Amino acid sequence: MTLSLILLYVVTLVYLSITERFRNYANLIALQGWILLAVALLRLHSIHLFDLLFVLIETLVFKALVVPMILRRIIRKTKINRVYNSGESQFNSLAGSVAALIASIGITYYIADTSMNVIFFGVALYALLSGLILITTRRRIFSHLVGFLVIENGVFLFSMAIGAEMPSLINIAILLDILISVLMLGMFITRIGDRLHSDDSERLTTIKD
Amino acid sequence: MMIAYILFSFAVAAALQFVPARAVRPVAALFYAAQAALAVWICCRGFGQPSSSFFLFDAAGTLMFLLMALVSPVAYYHACDYLEQDAPRDFRLFTQLLVLLCTAIAAVYFASNIAVTWIFLEATTLCAAGLVYHRHADGNLEATWKYIFVCSTGIAMAYLGVLLLCGMSGEEGLSYQRLAETASRANPLYLKVAFLLILAGYSCKMEIFPLYTIGVDANYSAPAPASALLSTVLVNAGFLSIFRVYKVMASSEVFPWVCNVLIVTGVLSLLVGALFLRRTNHCKRFLSYSTVENMGIVAIGLGIGGAGVWAALFHVVGHTLIKSGLFLQIARVRKSYGSYRINRLGDYMNISRTGAVTMIVGTLLLLAFPPSPLFLSEVKILGGTIGQGKWWLTAVMLLLLCIVIYGVWDKVLKLCYRPAAVRPAAAQSPRRLLSLSALFLLLCAIALGVWQPAPLADLIHGIATF
Repeated sequence: MTLSLILLYVVTLVYLSITERFRNYANLIALQGWILLAVALLRLHSIHLFDLLFVLIETLVFKALVVPMILRRIIRKTKINRVYNSGESQFNSLAGSVAALIASIGITYYIADTSMNVIFFGVALYALLSGLILITTRRRIFSHLVGFLVIENGVFLFSMAIGAEMPSLINIAILLDILISVLMLGMFITRIGDRLHSDDSERLTTIKD
Repeated sequence: MMIAYILFSFAVAAALQFVPARAVRPVAALFYAAQAALAVWICCRGFGQPSSSFFLFDAAGTLMFLLMALVSPVAYYHACDYLEQDAPRDFRLFTQLLVLLCTAIAAVYFASNIAVTWIFLEATTLCAAGLVYHRHADGNLEATWKYIFVCSTGIAMAYLGVLLLCGMSGEEGLSYQRLAETASRANPLYLKVAFLLILAGYSCKMEIFPLYTIGVDANYSAPAPASALLSTVLVNAGFLSIFRVYKVMASSEVFPWVCNVLIVTGVLSLLVGALFLRRTNHCKRFLSYSTVENMGIVAIGLGIGGAGVWAALFHVVGHTLIKSGLFLQIARVRKSYGSYRINRLGDYMNISRTGAVTMIVGTLLLLAFPPSPLFLSEVKILGGTIGQGKWWLTAVMLLLLCIVIYGVWDKVLKLCYRPAAVRPAAAQSPRRLLSLSALFLLLCAIALGVWQPAPLADLIHGIATF
């Protein structure tokens, strides 16, 4: 069951690289939130009840509900629906994503040993690379924001591979991560859209030497 | 005690929200007094005492905390003058954020557990972002967005490295001591990947290659007294976080590889600093690139190992005193001219003789001219490179340091002696005490350059020996 969920998670990452509509981004991030909730339920059942409830509630509330809701609100507010202004090929994004997937598999099998859950590590690495690809290849800030959320979700997934051993610290770290994510989203929705009148990252280049 | 200190800081930050405007400074002074009292208490009690499961008053943390206890009250004193025109609400928020930032940094210094270090480094991002956004202009918004975004991405990468170390240590916990014990029998590839991720992630805090840009933008955007802290005590937090992982790696077979990575990172940081110091036209970005350059030297010192580690630590101490003094003096320059644009400033010697002397002395110390403490550390690091037969590294360092000296000295001489393009604000009084307080930090650095008190020398020696 866990493996199926992880594979579904990988599919969401591949789909993120080729989709053009921001609404799909929000839906995929929401789907990732629900997948992480399910993985947490399956993976962390052996930890202390309070810690398990803490992880489940924060995953459900923030990753599956609040963050996607804020993303949808940003889309409504900025009225920008597509990744590019005009239709451009998604081939490069797909090629980058596939290359990242192959690199992640290669690295994972190269360093695999018994002390690490290789599937979680590999998928987390793929999520990290996918997030970085989104941030570096897309021009709109909203894509960057989604890239950051993809990285955060990947790190969360990996933390669950070892979460059973030190839940309290991992919980605090995850909570802080979520806090930062929400802060960034809040800042985006309340400030950047109003002040800079665009979500194009080229507008955010006034600070330079 | 550390938990009590954190709770006390939260109480002070909360109290600052409710006290009348005239009571903000006395309440903040209470916090800085408590910070100094904690520093004295730790020194009197001796190092190596655990404070709780997650904190340890060790020598390295104590050294950095002592520096913060010295620099942060002076920075706040400058902030009171620098932000005197601000609305009381803004100044109150600024003070609260400074208190919380100092607390988070102190927690990073004394964390004995790698996850706790990570948590409080993330907390520093939140506090520092508030300081960067203090002016609420479009440029501040851009810098804040970038700061939060890049720091969060970097720290998420570092978290992946922490989790890898966590997987390595298994159920034995994430204290640095446990990690050092398990590192010798861990998978070398895991250690290498973990170190790379942590170094890349924490580079946004230590202001070294590759994520150095974000620190430069943050210093540019934050009020100068806050930049004095961001560019020194927060950078030290990044340094200490990487140094603790470096010590963990020391017991493993990948240590020579780790040292080489640090040397490459250091050279790239030095290169970036040297090139951009020549190019920039903004006083605070100029000082920030100097931080990148100096932290590059520190990374090279760690990479050299042996005496280089002592030199790296001593360099950090000297840099903290000098750079904070210069940032605070730059705040005075801004007050005089109303601008940070280097090509518009000049004739500072006739406007504020004390201030100009402070700038010149600080610059000479920053460029490692004797009796600067940086002279001692750089000579030791260069000696280390020669001792190891790394002549290419010696040559590259000397070349880049020459470029730095030319770039920095050229700009500061123009500030002090060239006719100014803008007239300074006529009604500005020199406020000599403020310049003298910045000069005091520089004098502390000079004192360290000519004489290292035995307790300090022992302290640094103890940290560098492992």
